[in-house]
Amino acid sequence: MILLHLGALHLADAEEISTPWHRLTPRSRVLCTVLLVFAIALTPNGRWLTWAIYAGTIAALILISRVNLHMLIRRVAVECIFIGIVIVGTLFREGGHVVWQWGWLRVTSEGLMILGSVATKAFLSLLVLNVLALTTSVPALLHALINLKMPPLLVAILASMYRYISVLSDEFTSMQRAARSRNLFSNRTRQRTIIGNMFGSLFIRTYDRGERVHQAMLARGYQGLPPLAEVPQPKQRDTVAITFTCVVALIGQAIYLGF
Amino acid sequence: MHHNPIDIYNLSYVYADGTHALKDVSLTIRPSERVALVGANGSGKSTLLMHFNGLLTPQVGQVIVGTLVVEPQNLKAIRNFVGLVFQNPDDQLFMPTVWEDITFGPLNQGVKGQELIDRATEAMQAVGLDPSAFGSRNANALSGGEKKRVAIAGVLAMHPQVLVLDEPSAQLDPRSRRQLIELLATLPLTQLIATHDLDLALELCDRTIVLNRGRLVYDGSTEGIMCNPELLAEHALEPPLSYSRPYCQLEDVTA
Repeated sequence: MILLHLGALHLADAEEISTPWHRLTPRSRVLCTVLLVFAIALTPNGRWLTWAIYAGTIAALILISRVNLHMLIRRVAVECIFIGIVIVGTLFREGGHVVWQWGWLRVTSEGLMILGSVATKAFLSLLVLNVLALTTSVPALLHALINLKMPPLLVAILASMYRYISVLSDEFTSMQRAARSRNLFSNRTRQRTIIGNMFGSLFIRTYDRGERVHQAMLARGYQGLPPLAEVPQPKQRDTVAITFTCVVALIGQAIYLGF
Repeated sequence: MHHNPIDIYNLSYVYADGTHALKDVSLTIRPSERVALVGANGSGKSTLLMHFNGLLTPQVGQVIVGTLVVEPQNLKAIRNFVGLVFQNPDDQLFMPTVWEDITFGPLNQGVKGQELIDRATEAMQAVGLDPSAFGSRNANALSGGEKKRVAIAGVLAMHPQVLVLDEPSAQLDPRSRRQLIELLATLPLTQLIATHDLDLALELCDRTIVLNRGRLVYDGSTEGIMCNPELLAEHALEPPLSYSRPYCQLEDVTA
């Protein structure tokens, strides 16, 4: 999800305001978010009341964290377009009664229910993930991942991607400009070949840069595993927040147990 | 320091494609010396620099850093002894924030807690960067001069005895270049500066080493070579601008 926004690198400028949510350590914020996402995603289809409880919690979180609503909606909207394309296929599932039919295309009540459930899950998960991304800077998120015992090498790869994606996009832009300044974009068929070549040369440059970065790392004593910096210790409020998230997740699930 | 920081004996290096990058190079760097390493493109400067830090190990000959021979088992100590600043700061600043980048080296050395903070703060102050203003910034958002400073701070934080710089003034505007020269002049370390900027060499270094096609062709005073346009031309170099402007010389001033 973070990768979708790498073009807009204002991610690092996550707002540092003082709210109860911001006062939690990044590790706790990631944990709460992951717990909620799992609870939302693992709920069986059609349990609308559970999602209503989770939606209420997320709405409260949005209010508490005073996240920029305009930015949040814009980001979720962009991501929903991608997700919409992926999940539209679920509409044509077999089962239940036929609601609408056109030739062999048939929309059933079962299909509608699944589409609604998956869309709700995706929408709620995106909301809570975006709240996390908008309130926590990428370096803090990466620290939190290391703290949560994610393999350090994987986090180091993510960190390098975050660091170098704009360098690469700058390189691509300058190549594009160089091509345009020599009128190479006047012919549509050639345009495709040229863009293909650009990607090729960008790949080779990236490889070379990777070699140089690795040498720079070795020169400063890198021995295969990235060094671990110290991270803020969790306080009582962090325990409270995680417990609260667990309780909400369980209430959401328990509500259907009686039925 | 009683020993020479770097001794090189009969060093030769051939790349996998058959290019002879270094041929029988021998030299000694003395403590607290500032030495310029000049030569045309492809003369072997960068290959030589990578030997100082153990990024390349000698194929023929011997490199001794401090008291240690450059060999795989000594690399950790050698890299703590010699700090290498790369030509392109984008290659060297690989961590998401300035602070993380500067603490990368000390963390690899096992430095932690307050000492880590002190070292990084000291290094940032040494290069004239305010730790509170720059620490949390992303390396993408820095100017060329600032990136260079962060790269140097990242190396200084490891407390090396020798600072090796590859083309430090490349891609810098005149003011950043001037600030860099002033900064390097204040650092009390042994310095080896590979550069095409002969004015910088003249200003900072008393001694100059000239490489041509992998061979060491001059090792002596900087003034000695800069005043010798024939020798410079022979090795594909030009006298520094401060020597070559006729209108700056008194005898050319018309009465």
